[in-house]
Amino acid sequence: MSLVGKDVVVELKNDLSICGTLHSVDQYLNIKLTDISVTDPEKYPHMLSVKNCFIRGSVVRYVQLPADEVDTQLLQDAARKEALQQKQ
Amino acid sequence: MSFLKSFPPPGPAEGLLRQQPDTEAVLNGKGLGTGTLYIAESRLSWLDGSGLGFSLEYPTISLHALSRDRSDCLGEHLYVMVNAKFEEESKEPVADEEEEDSDDDVEPITEFRFVPSDKSALEAMFTAMCECQALHPDPEDEDSDDYDGEEYDVEAHGQGDIPTFYTYEEGLSHLTAEGQATLERLEGMLSQSVSSQYNMAGVRTEDSIRDYEDGMEVDTTPTVAGQFEDADVDH
Repeated sequence: MSLVGKDVVVELKNDLSICGTLHSVDQYLNIKLTDISVTDPEKYPHMLSVKNCFIRGSVVRYVQLPADEVDTQLLQDAARKEALQQKQ
Repeated sequence: MSFLKSFPPPGPAEGLLRQQPDTEAVLNGKGLGTGTLYIAESRLSWLDGSGLGFSLEYPTISLHALSRDRSDCLGEHLYVMVNAKFEEESKEPVADEEEEDSDDDVEPITEFRFVPSDKSALEAMFTAMCECQALHPDPEDEDSDDYDGEEYDVEAHGQGDIPTFYTYEEGLSHLTAEGQATLERLEGMLSQSVSSQYNMAGVRTEDSIRDYEDGMEVDTTPTVAGQFEDADVDH
């Protein structure tokens, strides 16, 4: 299940929210988005004209995924498995 | 700008990936002049014509982006959002931990824009910054899940709630006299029941018993009916 090419909203720790199309993610959860739009343009007017951005993984608070693109059962199973592995 | 200071331009020793001359720097909307942008693996630096400039550490760079809006008064440029405050009066950028003023709970944000005269260089500048950012991940937490493929040695870590398995030698040494007697009796019964009979496929022969028998493996399904009827009742 890959969300590349789907629209997501990335909420940063500085409260900025950026909506865009997911281009790629790396092992540190650095995120590249294309065609972005800022949900609060009055606060950050300089970002209005930005199309592509690279977001540092460590400043991400949440990533909002489109519900109908996600197999929640699969995601829950995978997360549980990983949590068990971490305990051991 | 009092936070500007003089320092030598980064070179190969700092892992310089790209330098872009004739690049204007803009801080929170205020122009700093034209200079050269140095994208190095260690840090991002900008120096104007007189040798004054500033450096940005990658862990403080929240995001960077390409602005393609030609109707913007600056034209196409590289946008960089930094998690630090650049005071006009102070000499150095103040990271959020060192903030003394009242907005402690609000993360400081500074917006830089770098406007090269050569617009065709923007893609390469953006890519170079992506590469450098990937070189500066945050230090790992204690409970990080990046486990590098090493096996987790349960016995070495001695976690109480995880069942540990006795080795054969360890198990034998824990046997009481009664336990030892039971073990010998069961082993005797096993070797008796097999040697007396069958040569059907699937039934263990004496040879395979020797291979499998380590004293700890007891076949719970009786090979002979009534095999365990004389077993002591265990309380």
